[in-house]
Amino acid sequence: MRKVLTGLATAAMMSVSMQTMAQTLAVGKQLLYLAEDVPAGLDYDGPSVSVNTSQTGFINMMDTLIDYPLSGASQDGIRTLDFSRFEGRLAESWSYDAASLTWTFKLRQGVKSCAGNTFTADDVIYTLARGKSVSGAAPINWFLASLGSIKGFDRSVFTGGSRELGDAVEKVDDYTIRIRQSSENNLFLTVLTVYSMAPFDSVEMKKHATAQDPWSHTYANTVNAAGFGPYCLERWVKDDEFVLRANPDYYRGKPDIDRVVIKRVPQSANRVLAMRAGQAQLTQRLAAREFQNLATARGVKVAGIFGNETLVLGLNWRTPPFDNPKLRQAIAYAMPYEQLARIGYAGAGRQWEAHFPTSIAGFIKPEQQYPRDLVRARVLLAEAGFPEGKGLEQYADAFHLAFTAERESYLGPIATAIKAALGDIGIQLQIDPMPQTQFADRRMVKKDLPMALSDTEKPVGPDVVYATRLYFVSPQAGGVNNITNYSNPELDRLFTAAQTEPDPAKRLPLVAQIQNLVQSQLAWVPLLETRTQWAFSERLSGLTWHPDNSLRLFELKLAQ
Amino acid sequence: MTGFVARRLATALLQLVGLALVVFFAIRLLPADPVARLVGQNASREAYLASQHALGLDRPVLTQFGAYLGALPGASGLLQGDFGTSWVTGEPVAKEIGRALPVTLELITISFVLAFILSVPLGMLCALKPGGAADNATFGYSLFAGSQPEFWWGLLFIYFFFAIMGWAPAPLGRLDPLSTAPPAVTGLITIDSLLAGNMAAFSDGLHHLMLPVLTKVFVLSGPIVKMVRQNMVRVLGSDYVLFARASGLPPGRIARMALKNALAPALTLLGVLYGYILGGAVLIETVFSLPGIGSYAVRSVLAFDYPAIQAVVLVIAAVSLFVYLALDIVHALLDPRLAS
Repeated sequence: MRKVLTGLATAAMMSVSMQTMAQTLAVGKQLLYLAEDVPAGLDYDGPSVSVNTSQTGFINMMDTLIDYPLSGASQDGIRTLDFSRFEGRLAESWSYDAASLTWTFKLRQGVKSCAGNTFTADDVIYTLARGKSVSGAAPINWFLASLGSIKGFDRSVFTGGSRELGDAVEKVDDYTIRIRQSSENNLFLTVLTVYSMAPFDSVEMKKHATAQDPWSHTYANTVNAAGFGPYCLERWVKDDEFVLRANPDYYRGKPDIDRVVIKRVPQSANRVLAMRAGQAQLTQRLAAREFQNLATARGVKVAGIFGNETLVLGLNWRTPPFDNPKLRQAIAYAMPYEQLARIGYAGAGRQWEAHFPTSIAGFIKPEQQYPRDLVRARVLLAEAGFPEGKGLEQYADAFHLAFTAERESYLGPIATAIKAALGDIGIQLQIDPMPQTQFADRRMVKKDLPMALSDTEKPVGPDVVYATRLYFVSPQAGGVNNITNYSNPELDRLFTAAQTEPDPAKRLPLVAQIQNLVQSQLAWVPLLETRTQWAFSERLSGLTWHPDNSLRLFELKLAQ
Repeated sequence: MTGFVARRLATALLQLVGLALVVFFAIRLLPADPVARLVGQNASREAYLASQHALGLDRPVLTQFGAYLGALPGASGLLQGDFGTSWVTGEPVAKEIGRALPVTLELITISFVLAFILSVPLGMLCALKPGGAADNATFGYSLFAGSQPEFWWGLLFIYFFFAIMGWAPAPLGRLDPLSTAPPAVTGLITIDSLLAGNMAAFSDGLHHLMLPVLTKVFVLSGPIVKMVRQNMVRVLGSDYVLFARASGLPPGRIARMALKNALAPALTLLGVLYGYILGGAVLIETVFSLPGIGSYAVRSVLAFDYPAIQAVVLVIAAVSLFVYLALDIVHALLDPRLAS
């Protein structure tokens, strides 16, 4: 009897093993990617576009017309891109006619979507027409097109102006399009590299249009992002898992990894445990100390790069006494940069010596620097009219340092260190953590936070001029997200000149002037540049940093 | 009995209506703007206004309330059984809750049944010899299990049973992430895998339930054992048990009689605990990466997803009220005086 039972058990185990082997052979290479969440939506004009985990979804299922070429690698082996040049993706080549402000794109032929449809000029036209309809919950395509000055993509669409594409885009033939600009604008190609400009598969999208939803936002947001990218959606359970399968017809070749399972594991400690146990091959957004911990694990590598993640101290120009330049400088000189990097990021950070990430196109290190110097800080404070902080009592309401309570684990200690550092020169501070939604509302809409710690300024267009328009240009001159209410006509003038200057040689000095100007005036107080890090199996390679901080799964290689 | 159930149902309905009112207005009093969260921090003012209009937040609050109820012409709302569409995902809230709720219900129902099956005999055993070895050991365990929050026990069990011993699977959800889930019928993995005849998914599902259920049972059993033990001690000392003993009834029959009277307060405790655990399920779900209703509720609150918040509060309240109702009926069956 015992022998029979043993035999049965062995046969059952062999059967399960053979089934597993057969399954593995059928599926091919699989990657288990642990994330703090899975995509909430797949429409880049939808409500989830601001959620980074949602971006990971549509970025890998769609492709842009152009992108940046590879340039090298960080010390850790993370590959980098050359942001001063562009390379074709769905577009093979392009040319510009300055006289008519018109770009002509030759589109790649033979590109197939996951649904089997062929990429043509109609897909580009559909995508831009959809963007200009501003029918989505968050019209990001319109926003980017307006940043690139595509004709007709202006604020009039919200005040009764035409929402039709008109003659902004012209189909020359199935594989040639012309896009017109309303004015000279060097950011045009930069915005075309951003995920929210990726063409949809118009044939597939139109199949899911309804009278109430002619642009298929519901379909894109809840069912599938129909595009021409390297991966196709296999399974999507919101709040749980997101499974992608390689697009066998992808025009750059079939991806090395056949199937990618993105699994939601909100507890970062569990992601660390699973990586240590070798059960997953990739994760990110861990605490700095958890990355340190994983770096010693067998079979796991930790690598990172100083990309565009930063920490800034915003001082509101409309809130006295922060309109006092000497006071701003005193605060900058008093900051304990090394301590902030150590306690908040376990050393994975360094003093940010500029207002722009070092990685982006046009960056220069500004002349004016603010190393920690308490003597100089006290002198400047006195020159500002507040010797040893006397006289600041009347502005007690302004000295409330806000940050998002959800990031208390690392911003809390940083806020405490800043409070202590400013206390050393006589400035008393209150720490004011608040819920993320309240913080975002006051920072972006009301713009009434007097002091705020923020680590969300990451320009997806890796260009100094793009970042200038996003953060420092005044609203009157087209500024977008000027969180400190900085307003300087000279900066606005330099921005416009840099944006429209066609000659790169003449543009560079303008870009340098912009950087020196905001740094000398301290449009905000730059604190730290922080490393974007990943923990991954040592069998995995090809990780490349992109300005949206989302990995391109197509670029990954998994050794057997 | 029918009148009793009807009265309880009518009360529950009134409670739900009151709750719907309070939740709708309370979330709109909070000092934050959901639109800012939805459009992202780099969006323009125009994009913000367009989004605000798309969500209907530019309308007066009473108009929004009318739309929520479904009282406006052509609108679909609560009165039509429509919870609306999530602002974050664009999916119908009812569909999302239908996906999340079974995950939590499966976990806590199995945990409650197991905790009850283990705790009742244990409580009876302690009551037979108050102050004995079993009683003292149980007292020590109750104190120990209740001394730390359940997420702490969960993390400890993960560390011990997964990281050290390797007996439990990685805390990565209800199933192995690389496996294929059975087609969703009830949303309960154990039932759905049996319906599909997928025994591999069934055993994988049970394996992945092992640690979350252990954590729940470990923490829940303490108060249930104590409650059963105390009630049994009280009942075993009562006159009718003394009379039964004097009449020479066998101990087993006496124990059954006593248990019936000792169970009623324990059931009350069970009902209270069920509602409490359902509302606070997020901790255990976060620790074990389970996409349940607790995580959904917290995600909705953090994103200021008004339709989802409104619906999830109503659904959790409705489940709690249903459990209370079921326990009231059991109570009434145990003690017919209650039904009158």
